[in-house]
Amino acid sequence: MSDRHSTESIREELTHRDNLSLTARIAENPEPFVWWAVPMFVLLAVEFATWGGILVGMLDALVIGVTGLIDIVVGFVSPGLAQIVTDFQAGVVGMLRSVGGTLGELPTLFSREVIPNQGHQTPNGAWQGTFLGLQPAVAWALRFSLIMAYALFTAYWAFRGWLVYRDHYRESDWTPTDDIVNNLRGHRWGQFGIIVLVVFLTMATFGSALAPSTVSQNIQSPYSDESQIQYLTEEGTVETVFAGDANFDSKSKGAVDTNVGVMTYDDYGRFHPFGTLPNGRDLFTFMMGGARITMIVSGMAITGAAVVAMTLSMLSAYYSGSLDLGILTVADGVVSVPQLLLLIMMSAVFANTWLGAVLDGGFLLALIFAFTTWPFLWRAVRGPALQVAQEDWVRAAESYGQRPRNIMQKHMLPYVLGYLLVYASMSVGGIIISLSALSFLGNGLGISPPTPAWGRAISAGQSYVSSPSWHISLIPGLMIVLLVTGMNALGDGIRDAIDPEVETGDGEEAAAGGGA
Amino acid sequence: MNRGIYILKRLGLAIPVMIFGVTMSFLILYLGPIDPVGSILGRQATPADIRQLRMALNYIDSAGNPIPLWEQYFRVVSDLFLLDFGDSWVIQRETPVTTLIINRMPATLWLGFWSVVIALGVGVPVGLYAGLRANTFRDYASSGFGIIWRAMPNFWLAVIISGLITAGGALSFYRTAIVETQVSGTPDALGNLFTNVEIFSGIPYLELLFIPVPNPGPMFVAFKWILPAALVLGSSSMGNEVRIGRTAVLESINSKYVETAKAKGVSPRRIIAKHVGRNAIIPLLPVVMGEFYLLIGGSVLVESVFGINGLGNLFFSAVLGPDIPLVMALVFIFIVIQILFNISQDLLYTYIDPRISLGERE
Repeated sequence: MSDRHSTESIREELTHRDNLSLTARIAENPEPFVWWAVPMFVLLAVEFATWGGILVGMLDALVIGVTGLIDIVVGFVSPGLAQIVTDFQAGVVGMLRSVGGTLGELPTLFSREVIPNQGHQTPNGAWQGTFLGLQPAVAWALRFSLIMAYALFTAYWAFRGWLVYRDHYRESDWTPTDDIVNNLRGHRWGQFGIIVLVVFLTMATFGSALAPSTVSQNIQSPYSDESQIQYLTEEGTVETVFAGDANFDSKSKGAVDTNVGVMTYDDYGRFHPFGTLPNGRDLFTFMMGGARITMIVSGMAITGAAVVAMTLSMLSAYYSGSLDLGILTVADGVVSVPQLLLLIMMSAVFANTWLGAVLDGGFLLALIFAFTTWPFLWRAVRGPALQVAQEDWVRAAESYGQRPRNIMQKHMLPYVLGYLLVYASMSVGGIIISLSALSFLGNGLGISPPTPAWGRAISAGQSYVSSPSWHISLIPGLMIVLLVTGMNALGDGIRDAIDPEVETGDGEEAAAGGGA
Repeated sequence: MNRGIYILKRLGLAIPVMIFGVTMSFLILYLGPIDPVGSILGRQATPADIRQLRMALNYIDSAGNPIPLWEQYFRVVSDLFLLDFGDSWVIQRETPVTTLIINRMPATLWLGFWSVVIALGVGVPVGLYAGLRANTFRDYASSGFGIIWRAMPNFWLAVIISGLITAGGALSFYRTAIVETQVSGTPDALGNLFTNVEIFSGIPYLELLFIPVPNPGPMFVAFKWILPAALVLGSSSMGNEVRIGRTAVLESINSKYVETAKAKGVSPRRIIAKHVGRNAIIPLLPVVMGEFYLLIGGSVLVESVFGINGLGNLFFSAVLGPDIPLVMALVFIFIVIQILFNISQDLLYTYIDPRISLGERE
């Protein structure tokens, strides 16, 4: 038996030790799985259209964005190939949109059709068209609380799924993840972060059902045929009006008589939890639309940055030397231009290209943020990665003849991933702030109107801060503060859970968002 | 390591970083789909005008052939490194970029100076206080203040504060307190902050030397004017300082040398000043230095909300222009400042904490 053969067999033994697949283990003892899976299935099924819709929407944006990038690159080489890519894109997007359309027609449990809040008063004072004839405010509050409760419970149930897996189906009795989860269970501050994250993800996912009105009816096409609402006139008759016309009479422009404040009705019997914007649109609906684009863009950006930082940190730690120095130079070069300046420069330059149109400019912004954020993440995990690369088990794996790729993935990455998670959740706050800062600056930067963006609401209310219409600037800002604080708390929580001893000092600047 | 050699080595390493940063900005501006010629001349431009301008901007040579990008690149980069920033294209046609920058500089320096001083003056004491009173209600209150203060977007804070100060707002008394001042726009008192007193008048050559003597009146007006903006600009750093100051104090207060000092009977005041405070400054240093860097980016938003005509506003309008020479010059200056700060930060470390030797960091 040659040496080479023996290393092969050891490698076989090391990599293929699990003899039963997960399905087989579940089949052996199905009871705990069934007790978890059936409620989970019901939970997902009652909101199937929403979950499917968000999935299709994300695929749609990803396909357009990625094929678009390929299109640009291929276009340099051969215009014919670029045409094929465009056709492919059109085909896939068309298919996805038709699936999305079908999904949109499926009923969901907590939809605005099941618990409607838009109705009108009859001359005798009763409400018609709302859920059980309740006041619109009460009907809206009911739907809002039900959806939030549903989302929080679904998140908890998904976590239960991991517990069931850990207790009944996992092969090893203990993994480092167990300690992290146990530490987090006693960490109130970190839990606050998790709840904030779930709440904002819920806003992004269920935004149209959470709001008293929809983005399309209230903001994007208030004069389409579907955007007609009924209301009780002062003469006691019920009339029909376009949402756009109703918006025109519901403006918040600082004076006492032209203001629809927090938790009030306008003249058309519409309830506004956060009041209205200077152009009469509903601020709560606007905020929910803004939550969606904010979560999508910042999620995509931080994922992109984390993947780049992770790959480069592995490469620079494993190979070190001149590769490390090269990456260091590039990272320092990107960092040396102040982040906000780079953002303004890049989005101003690309704003009018078609790339700026995908996801209303969101895709481009996500790319730019990923580009400006990865050096901070890479710097933060470079140290731990270098330490891991010096460990004995990496040498051991090398001596067994494992490929570099395998060593990085299996023996180095798991130790760096935690740090990456900590810094990613701390930097995402900076991305959220910078994103709203760009929308605030306007001038073609940020998310393009009329798609709602938080920064634009702050900018719209700029001259009404000290007037009855104070809500316009204040509330979006408070939402940003809450989300950013939550993400910082999450980062603190994960950091303490991974290693209660360690204290992060670097990377704080990244969290502050380039001064935005 | 010898300090001189260390500085030279760091400067040498900074050159590729500078080249990379400048190249990146060049590629974004020159390869990107922006058309400075169109934005300078507007829509009614005749082909002859366009041709002439293209020639003036070095896009085409005198025969009308396009100049290759790499040639433009070398021209731009060598001009930058020779500090020849050229003339502005859009913001003020034919005005040297250097003049524009020097005119806008005082407002930004004044704003930046006070935002650093205020953030330090509030953030560090609050952080140290929270650390010394760890896990009491006061600690939680001040740490909570730091956490929230840090999560607030600068531009939003600027909008709220400037809104509250305007007539009719809750803080409108600020305008008339002590001296009546404006709170938005560039402080006009900036021009006469100092009186230059010639000390050698009459003596040839030496009479060119003078001492700037501060004028208290205009200085106070300019300070009061800029205070809200400076408070906003320093906000996130202030939050960071509270947070890091607190952990730094907690770490050093539990260390053996503090215990030893206590056992020797050193007074609590002296322990805090000499043993805890000094050690707590070390982790604060990168935050304070990083603050200067954040100011450059943050000043764009704060200056635009408060209407201050500083470098931030200049950069913003230059990018929207697009005024390429101005943008390139500003980016180049920012990169240089950033690199110099990084190096001086590492040097400062060795002065504050002699245990850290040169070359150990990085």
